[in-house]
Amino acid sequence: MVVGETEAVLAVELCGIPLATPLIPASGTLARESLDEVGGVYGAILPKTTTPAPREGNPPPRIAEAPAGMVNSIGLQNPGVRRFLQELDGWDLGVPIFVSVAGETVGEFAGLCERLAADDRVAAVELNLSCPNVERGGLTFCATPAAVEETVAACRAAAPGKPLLAKLTYEGVVENARAAAAAGVDALTVMNTIPALAIDARRQRVLLRGGLSGPAIKPVALRAVYDVSRAVGVPVVGSGGIASGIDVAEFMLAGATAVQVGTASFVRDPREILHEFAAYLAEMGLAAADLTRV
Amino acid sequence: MRFYGVTVEERRQVGDYTLLRYRWDGAVEPGQFIMARAAGYPVTLDPFLARPFSIYDYDGGVASLLFEVRGRGTALLAGATERIEVSAPLGRGFDVVRAGGRAALLGGGVGVAPLKILSRRLAVLGVPHDVFLGFAHAAAAKVAREFPGAVVATMDGSAGLRGTVLDAAPNLGGYPAVYACGPNPMLAAVKRSVGDGTICRLSVEERMGCGNGSCNGCVVPVRGGGYVRSCVEGPVFDAEVLAW
Repeated sequence: MVVGETEAVLAVELCGIPLATPLIPASGTLARESLDEVGGVYGAILPKTTTPAPREGNPPPRIAEAPAGMVNSIGLQNPGVRRFLQELDGWDLGVPIFVSVAGETVGEFAGLCERLAADDRVAAVELNLSCPNVERGGLTFCATPAAVEETVAACRAAAPGKPLLAKLTYEGVVENARAAAAAGVDALTVMNTIPALAIDARRQRVLLRGGLSGPAIKPVALRAVYDVSRAVGVPVVGSGGIASGIDVAEFMLAGATAVQVGTASFVRDPREILHEFAAYLAEMGLAAADLTRV
Repeated sequence: MRFYGVTVEERRQVGDYTLLRYRWDGAVEPGQFIMARAAGYPVTLDPFLARPFSIYDYDGGVASLLFEVRGRGTALLAGATERIEVSAPLGRGFDVVRAGGRAALLGGGVGVAPLKILSRRLAVLGVPHDVFLGFAHAAAAKVAREFPGAVVATMDGSAGLRGTVLDAAPNLGGYPAVYACGPNPMLAAVKRSVGDGTICRLSVEERMGCGNGSCNGCVVPVRGGGYVRSCVEGPVFDAEVLAW
């Protein structure tokens, strides 16, 4: 199937931003080096999370395989927002660029939002609320609805004109979604990886404490998208284990306006996922935007 | 990541290792690797990830892999008789053109894999070289017969000299160019043993998620702090770049 023929069928709109397809890469799963392989696949590009200062990331091992997924603990390795913006043109595929941000304090989040709000190349900002908040003893920014509301409100004030997405973890997702919506978020990304552990039995030690991603978490993410989309009035971007065109359809039928493809892109060409989704729409006689309203 | 279904030409056991040959048309550089698996989605939801393997050899139409069965992913691959799925060759290989004079090639265990294609390239370029191979025991060392003239050492002394690959190469400091692949402690020892000004290129063996730079899972520490991805910035590094 030629994607061009189905352009109008695949298009969706998220926070007023037209997307040629509902697929977006999940943060930290698309390298700039492989960008030329994904032209025409994604409706928006979303590079790896950027932070105020460069971060080395965690010492290896950083990944462990799991049935139908993987556990990772990368530690937000990135060159910092200054260099990120210097290199941002390298992410231009002719589609909107969403920028994922993380800070260690509410002030850092707001500072990043203010900086990105002034950059016309940035179509939207996604707040990665799963990182530790050093002002709250290392609990994540998703630990309580109050923390979510405070962080989103500060970012909203710092970037009044820029579409804001908040990426939530599974724990407390509905309450956190309500808090983010109350603080003025434009959309919610549901969900991040879920807490996981990998043990090296041969060496009798913990191999990795991190987050589980991949098809293994798909039913959990689907439930979260369904529950959140019925609890709040803002659009939801589904994320968690999406690996096929039918998975895309399922998330949209559960209430998502768009979806993120992450770990599955390591084992599949995401173009195949888009083609499967287009084939599903053709078979059903539906357009992508119809699914969310079902 | 894009995978291609390819035809298995030959699969045979060489001591502890499996040698798998498959049809491949396209450029392959010594030191590059591929991601491989027995079958594609959705068959391989478990094991989920493809596995990285150095390209062992390439003759223009058939590429080969040399690997050890360590878990289910490699067991399934070793059992594949007709088709497997592979990525295109990935990563930065050995920049052999810059290496002048006599070269030393050192391999530890299954880390001997990229030395076959490297040796072939050096021969084409007219670069004389010596090959030193280290293994745990004789069953692993059987692959040494694929490297005529190689000096072999085994840890238990069951084949060749008793000791490490460095024991097999006592004059390493005299070579102007050294290429090595194996476990990190071996590579660190090679780095310590080469002379000043030696061209020293080390191919690291790291666990990988994606193989194309996306997941940041396969990093190695670099001098001056921080980490770089072995799949994109490597897997072959200038020894000076690495922190260890």
